Amino acid sequence: MVFTYGMITALATGLGALPFLLVRTVSGRMVGRLNAVASGLMLGASFGLLAEGTRFGGWQTFSGGLLGVLFILATNRFLREHPVGPGTGPVAEDGLRRMVLIVTVMTVHSLAEGVAIGASFGGGMALATFITVAIAVHNIPEGVAISAVLRSNGVSVPRCAGWSIVSSLPQPVMAVPAFLFVEAFAPALPYGIGFAAGAMVFMVLLEILPEAYGKGSAREIGTIATLSMIAMMLFQRVVAG
Amino acid sequence: MATPFAVLLYASIAALSAIPGGLVRWSADSGRDRWIGWAHALSAGGMLGAAFVLTGVPYAAAGAAAIGAVLGVAFIAGTHALTHLEDLDLSRPDRDDPTAAPRLVALHALHACTEGVAIGVAMAVNLSLGVFVALAIAVHNVPEAALLVGATRRRGRSRTARVGLAVMSNLGQPLLAVMTWLLVTSLPASLPWVLGFAVGALLNLVMTELLPASYREAGSTSIALVASVAMGLVVLLGGILP
Repeated sequence: MVFTYGMITALATGLGALPFLLVRTVSGRMVGRLNAVASGLMLGASFGLLAEGTRFGGWQTFSGGLLGVLFILATNRFLREHPVGPGTGPVAEDGLRRMVLIVTVMTVHSLAEGVAIGASFGGGMALATFITVAIAVHNIPEGVAISAVLRSNGVSVPRCAGWSIVSSLPQPVMAVPAFLFVEAFAPALPYGIGFAAGAMVFMVLLEILPEAYGKGSAREIGTIATLSMIAMMLFQRVVAG
Repeated sequence: MATPFAVLLYASIAALSAIPGGLVRWSADSGRDRWIGWAHALSAGGMLGAAFVLTGVPYAAAGAAAIGAVLGVAFIAGTHALTHLEDLDLSRPDRDDPTAAPRLVALHALHACTEGVAIGVAMAVNLSLGVFVALAIAVHNVPEAALLVGATRRRGRSRTARVGLAVMSNLGQPLLAVMTWLLVTSLPASLPWVLGFAVGALLNLVMTELLPASYREAGSTSIALVASVAMGLVVLLGGILP
């Protein structure tokens, strides 16, 4: 039951790729804007995570966040030294590295969210259904963020949807044990949430934002990122009720 | 509960933190300067953290806050249009352009007003949040003043006069802090609007100025490290406020 509910939320992430059916060609300017949107959505999402994590413990969230930063630093270094796939030239390699990073970060983040879902399933079916719908809707902009980065590197829309769903799969997988062993998982929750938030913020600052600023004026890119961030925060607040 | 005196005091401390910044000897002529990049990144992370702490204030009207935030974004965008930010390098404005330095001072003065709004609204929520936001902005004012004093060097004024100018450009902070505090305490319904405005303006300042300026001076790894750790520290400290 918990698994099915979790699965619905994962599939919802794929819906995030749909807006990109409207974007036919991806020009250099569009790449900058898409990366700005992704940055804003992820920073907004990390604000949501931090709000959740600091409820359980500020220090735990902070230490988790530092680990998340180190994790991305190490992953990024590893990817630089071991380019994945058929990279043709430094440009393609950079793009590929960015795509691997964002899918990794979003997967880690949904892992933490999966634990949060499972741990909050104790309140009866009505609440469970509500939380599932809330998380499913909440996953859509995360799919938008992943698809924005993937699409701007020339990945097709169905593949964007596929990777979005893959990145959310840990949600149902983690929700079940977290539901069954709430006592064991609850203390780890702020660390996990902090880890996800730290990794997300650091990845945005390390890769996505500099890439975006390189492809447009600071005013344009910065304003798009800010507005996306505000939209994400409003969205999360409305969805969370 | 904050008093008008406390609001004025802490907002003035924030404004006066331009003085230590102005004493830093920094030449605007040097090339890429990593320390400037890190100072901008520190400010950016601190401001992101302060914005996060402000979003944690409980209020009912999310829609009003969002509209307020968009207005805050629009205000910063307006200051950019007014000062023609596109051809203004914040860290080292063009020496041959006589309008560059005055535009930079005007930009700082307008931003000081939005920072004053942030201090004022935080003070209206409670004193500890207000002091916290005022201190975060004071930290941000230090490198800002160092850059301003360095950038106006060839204007033929003494260092003291230029430090004075940097302090004067922060005048909007105490002024707007007191006005905002008066508005929100006498009209509590305005809280989500003003809170949203402050958050939107701070975030847009980070995204359109501080971060782009920091990436121009240093590599993205060090910038991302400084900014995210600074943000984390402010979030952590904001969480243990009484």
